Amino acid sequence: MTETTDISVDFAGIRLVNPVFTASGTCGYADELADFTDINALGGLITKSITLKPRKGNAPPRTVETDSGMLNAIGLANIGLANFIEEKLPVIEQLTTKVFVNVAGETIDEYVAVIERLSAEKAIAGFELNISCPNVKKGGITFGTEPVLVGEITSAAKKAAGEKILMVKLSPAVTDISVIARAAIHAGADALSMVNTFTAMVIDIETRRPILANKTGGLSGPAIKPIAVYLVNKVYNEVARDRGIPILGLGGIRNASDAIEFMIAGATAIGIGTANFIEPGCTEKIIEGIKEYCAHNNTGIKELIGSLKTDSTGPD
Amino acid sequence: MKNHLKSDKGPFGSVVGANKPIGQGFYRLSLGFEGPGAEAFAKTQPGQFVQLDLADTSLPPLKTIPEGLRDAAGRKILLRRPFSFSDVTVEKNKTSVSILYGVVGPASLRMTTLTAGDLVSVIGPLGNGFQMPKGKKHALLIAGGMGAGPLEYLAKVLTADFPKINPVAFAGAKTAKALPFEGRLDAISQQLGFSLAEFAKYGVKSLVATDNGSIGFAGTVTDCLSQWLDESDLPGRDTILYGCGPEAMLAKVARIADARKIDCQVSMERHMACGTGLCQSCAVECKVAGSSETVYKMCCTDGPVFDSREVVFRL
Repeated sequence: MTETTDISVDFAGIRLVNPVFTASGTCGYADELADFTDINALGGLITKSITLKPRKGNAPPRTVETDSGMLNAIGLANIGLANFIEEKLPVIEQLTTKVFVNVAGETIDEYVAVIERLSAEKAIAGFELNISCPNVKKGGITFGTEPVLVGEITSAAKKAAGEKILMVKLSPAVTDISVIARAAIHAGADALSMVNTFTAMVIDIETRRPILANKTGGLSGPAIKPIAVYLVNKVYNEVARDRGIPILGLGGIRNASDAIEFMIAGATAIGIGTANFIEPGCTEKIIEGIKEYCAHNNTGIKELIGSLKTDSTGPD
Repeated sequence: MKNHLKSDKGPFGSVVGANKPIGQGFYRLSLGFEGPGAEAFAKTQPGQFVQLDLADTSLPPLKTIPEGLRDAAGRKILLRRPFSFSDVTVEKNKTSVSILYGVVGPASLRMTTLTAGDLVSVIGPLGNGFQMPKGKKHALLIAGGMGAGPLEYLAKVLTADFPKINPVAFAGAKTAKALPFEGRLDAISQQLGFSLAEFAKYGVKSLVATDNGSIGFAGTVTDCLSQWLDESDLPGRDTILYGCGPEAMLAKVARIADARKIDCQVSMERHMACGTGLCQSCAVECKVAGSSETVYKMCCTDGPVFDSREVVFRL
């Protein structure tokens, strides 16, 4: 029965065969997961962050496990735009799944340069704007936490992206995430992805030093899932639903139940991150599990999105 | 684009054959594979590794947990853990791999409760193993603590496939109790001989060093190696060093190799989240030929075995 169950969704004007993405930084640049899963069975794939020039990344240790989660501080290590075009784009051109390029940078110009160069590429469905990089201009204030800067960078990026979908990845490290979401949408974001990792620290009590060479890292994994579900629901209710902006839900999703929870909260699609490290083929099971849920509950996938039942309109 | 066929890296289901304690906090675990897993692991090279899912494995009773690990023991683990092999055996359609491990944290503590018949999910074989010593006459295997594991398997492959090579093993630890071997360790002499059964069974002689001098050579395994090289006077070009152990030890092995113009390969260790190149956690700083620049290579997919001249060791 699930063979024929349609779980395709409309995401900012494109059709995804299913709502399951692999999240940036957990699936390489293109087909690195192909040893373990059928990439073309995915609804979408978001590449590792691309910057204008190659970046070496942080010194190790770059990751540390925590209770039901992990911290990472990779430092945007990547091959840079030119190598991406030369080595990875030809691979992406062979894929039928929708590929979004995650773009990072230290200045607005750098983001724009990467997006402009890639915006004419047919193989790319859109961009995910990584605006939670801590190494940016303006006294170290990150792009993702200042509504005015979020507006400026989103607007410049959208102009460069042209017809391509621009998805803005929101940082949870803000007082009110809806304010940031509103600024991004107002400036032209076609979609939101949320949430990025939570800044965190683990200390070695013997040496009294942080475990990570970078001192802090981003917390991901099941530990952050309930917070991410809450934030998706908040942005869905307060900002995204009425404006028709889809949300890609991210944060500790390991199985179909987790994915469905995000969709009930308001996500149109969901991304699998940390779970790829543990079960690199887990997306297949998640896609199948969503089909089974829809078939079993006799519900269409679209009816699932934002179907949370509450007495009030949202968790205000 | 890679054709997506059924993965040759798993995850594979494996069945625990045995999980044998071999002294102070060391164990040997054997995992059996059938079908595609047996096929994949039959081609394993020494120095490659696996990622084991131990998240659902039970903790031992609290009273048996070493005091220093009790707080960490209760932590719910999420990620797989990397281990290299101390042996691989192939019989008809079944492949068995042995893993030498020590109890160091919440995952290895859980691992001690595995018993024959338990199922373990395994990703692997992963990474690049030791390169075989073409044109060499002498292979010196230098192990620090649990680093002995992959070198035991290397000893097996060298003696089976390279009969003209003369391998010698050097094994060191802080004390006799910290040596991950079985048998009458207290009877080990200071001379080169068949004192470690794990190497002797392949006809490979060994020298043992303990920092506190409780048995064997009194001093570090690298001092033991230096002294032995001085006395044996082997031509550098005919010799190759293979090192596996703590990074400080590997750095010394690399210096010895460099000073004596001997080829040297080292097996590096890093925190890994995935082991498959996705997470970019396990950065090893490497020199770039003809430049003062360095790059980070991945321990999991570029290594874990590196040419020692390439590595910038963290000390």
